[in-house]
Amino acid sequence: MIHVKELKKTFGVEHALKGIDFEVDKGEVFGLLGPSGSGKTTTIKLLTGEFKSSGGNIEVNGTTDKHFKKTSYVKHLGILSDKTSLYDRLTVGDNLELYRKLYNAPKNVVDEVLGKVGLLEEKGKRVSKLSKGMKQRVMLCKAVLHKPDVLFLDEPTSALDPTTTEKIHEMLEELKNDGTTIMLTTHNMDEATRLCDKVAFLYEGVIKETGSPEDLRHRYKRNEVHLTYEDGGIRTVGRDVENQGLLKEALFDTSVIDIRTDFPTLGEVFKKVTGKELV
Amino acid sequence: MNITRVAAIFEKDFKEFMRNMMLFTSVLIPVVLAAFFGRMDGGEGGVPDEIVIIIVGVVFSAVTFSSMMTMMAEENEKDTLRGLLQSPASIIDIIAGKSAVITLMTIISLVASIMLVEADGFWSMENIAGLILLGIFFLNLGIGIGLLVKSVATTSVYLIPIMFLFGFTPYIEFLVTDEGHIARQIAECFPLYQNLYILNGDGGAAEYLILLAWVAVSFGIVIWAFNRRKSDD
Repeated sequence: MIHVKELKKTFGVEHALKGIDFEVDKGEVFGLLGPSGSGKTTTIKLLTGEFKSSGGNIEVNGTTDKHFKKTSYVKHLGILSDKTSLYDRLTVGDNLELYRKLYNAPKNVVDEVLGKVGLLEEKGKRVSKLSKGMKQRVMLCKAVLHKPDVLFLDEPTSALDPTTTEKIHEMLEELKNDGTTIMLTTHNMDEATRLCDKVAFLYEGVIKETGSPEDLRHRYKRNEVHLTYEDGGIRTVGRDVENQGLLKEALFDTSVIDIRTDFPTLGEVFKKVTGKELV
Repeated sequence: MNITRVAAIFEKDFKEFMRNMMLFTSVLIPVVLAAFFGRMDGGEGGVPDEIVIIIVGVVFSAVTFSSMMTMMAEENEKDTLRGLLQSPASIIDIIAGKSAVITLMTIISLVASIMLVEADGFWSMENIAGLILLGIFFLNLGIGIGLLVKSVATTSVYLIPIMFLFGFTPYIEFLVTDEGHIARQIAECFPLYQNLYILNGDGGAAEYLILLAWVAVSFGIVIWAFNRRKSDD
């Protein structure tokens, strides 16, 4: 569904993307993870036709980047940008009606999507009266009301409260189950672990690592075992031949109440790969 | 250009226009001005053509030019234009929808203002043709500058000189009394003077040609602004 090969983008002398490659299959949720300034938003803007690339190849939904401005391409995309783009003086319903008409979507979709994000009662309310979280949910409604084949989400839950984040995650899971291909950028590792089938670590314009969250966590697990004793003490031992006897003993030692291997979080994997915290 | 999408943008912009006090009051400014000037007597039972044409200049600069520029600037400032451009709507659909709203508001403001000054012979075919060309010129100026202006606050930087130069051109007669002065000669080549000559009944092919030249210049400004914006992106 999305094929990116040697993609480069420069702004003057600054190299925002230094030749990145990734593939996203149909119905997959792909997460581009990286700190601010790593090139995530630039990648989304290149894939949605807002920026022109400085080199490399892009193909989305069977269309190459030369044709990204065409209506036939745009009408199959859903985009949630990093900045809000709603008309404050208009009501929630007016805003969504505008986009429904632009996409030539059925009349009932506005109520349908508002119902899904729990905002149907706010349909007649002016956007200026909504909270940030509500606006973000309306933005998501705007992005999905035409049932796009590919959905691009740039930091969909950035700076949102946990309740709104949960509602957005639920809706994205529903879209994923319906077979929508989703590409999102985030620096929230829990979000990536929950939603993504595949992630790529983007750092300083280069993809440092890619794989499913589980694969990456396995790949970068430390070869250590933590033994927790009933008195609260924790002992960490290497998972090697040298400690084979000790580990076997621990299995039958009644004072050992927990044995677990060290399984890193996605954030820890990112730090291991790039040497930097994901903030 | 897609008519359904243009209609959707027209509907949205019409609602926005009616709820935006800054834009809505711009329609009333020429009407209030006309109500004030309507009490002046031109000596032959009507308001002088110079005054009528200045009211026309205020309509086109305050409503057509200023509203178009402000609407575009607000879309840029709030990043809503980006949202529209990410949809199937093209920039042509967006501008056509906005232009339709601005044209409607311009007609309302112009008709109400002219009714108040009771200008004889104003709605002649010759004058209407001149007004259409003048309207296109101001609309294009609004589109061109609106494409480049990033915020509503900066629109005033452009509004004052454009209003002064193109909306109040005949006022130069009060500032420069010497008819042969170079400033007067230059001003007489400006679009509003052509409409004044047409309204006076002194207009001929030359006045329409000069207006057409200004329209061509305004289209050039729009194309330049499009390209400048493209390269900025």
